[in-house]
Amino acid sequence: MLFRILDPQTKANQFWRDFDRLNDELTRSILDDQFGSSSHFPPVNVYTKEDEALVTCLLPGMETDQIEINVKDNMLSIHGKKKAEELAEGTEVHRREIFQGEFHRTLELPFRVSQDQVSAKYVNGVLNIHLPRREEDKPKKVSISVG
Amino acid sequence: MNTLTKENKQILDEKTDVKESKTQVRVYSPNVDVYESETSLFFRVEMPGVDETSVEISIEKDQLHLEGKFHIPGIDRGQVRLAEYKEGNYSRKFTIGKAVDTEKAVAKMKNGILELTLPKIEPKKTKIEIQNS
Repeated sequence: MLFRILDPQTKANQFWRDFDRLNDELTRSILDDQFGSSSHFPPVNVYTKEDEALVTCLLPGMETDQIEINVKDNMLSIHGKKKAEELAEGTEVHRREIFQGEFHRTLELPFRVSQDQVSAKYVNGVLNIHLPRREEDKPKKVSISVG
Repeated sequence: MNTLTKENKQILDEKTDVKESKTQVRVYSPNVDVYESETSLFFRVEMPGVDETSVEISIEKDQLHLEGKFHIPGIDRGQVRLAEYKEGNYSRKFTIGKAVDTEKAVAKMKNGILELTLPKIEPKKTKIEIQNS
């Protein structure tokens, strides 16, 4: 949250209350612009070696069948839907900060991927995607003959 | 706010000179959902990367403290191309305004989310008889 100069508890007068609401709305819209479009959800780390890449993303509380991973050439896309929790009747909500809804991320890798060999594991809410480089794209050593 | 983790203000700015004896650990404030039913309080805390062995839950008087260590295994993963998160600790404190039965608390980790249930205690009523003198 952006730093709030005004503490609403101490300001009972209406002007400040409206000002606070405006402030909240603005904050939310700015944050939604940045994060709400889920361009940054889930956060990912990308590691590469010469002939493989590893993408890890923080994606807690999902079922594996809600996550869709697509690979084409050197593009990886992760797509999914986080469902809201079913709450029993009469449950009071005090806080709700956990992300819900759809997310979509596309990442570009430095090489084309062998699609059939991509594997993914989901451990403790972290998704690990292992992407081997396409065989024909791997760098080849050229031996030099002495002539 | 939809970012998964928000770094606490407690973290020293990385650019400041830190005494070499102290290694810095990042502290993240995890996102939570808090619900209340007639019988219990429910907490759901996002701690991706944390396994159940490193979660610590403590309740002292009305202070609930939830902690988890997020450790990225130090295997060679190659060159880092993009790093949007780093390892660190999750930590969050709550003040519980209701009497809860800590003995009957139930906690479990599920896919990186800590689910904690604290049953509420009905305050006991004691009737005091007034004696006739």
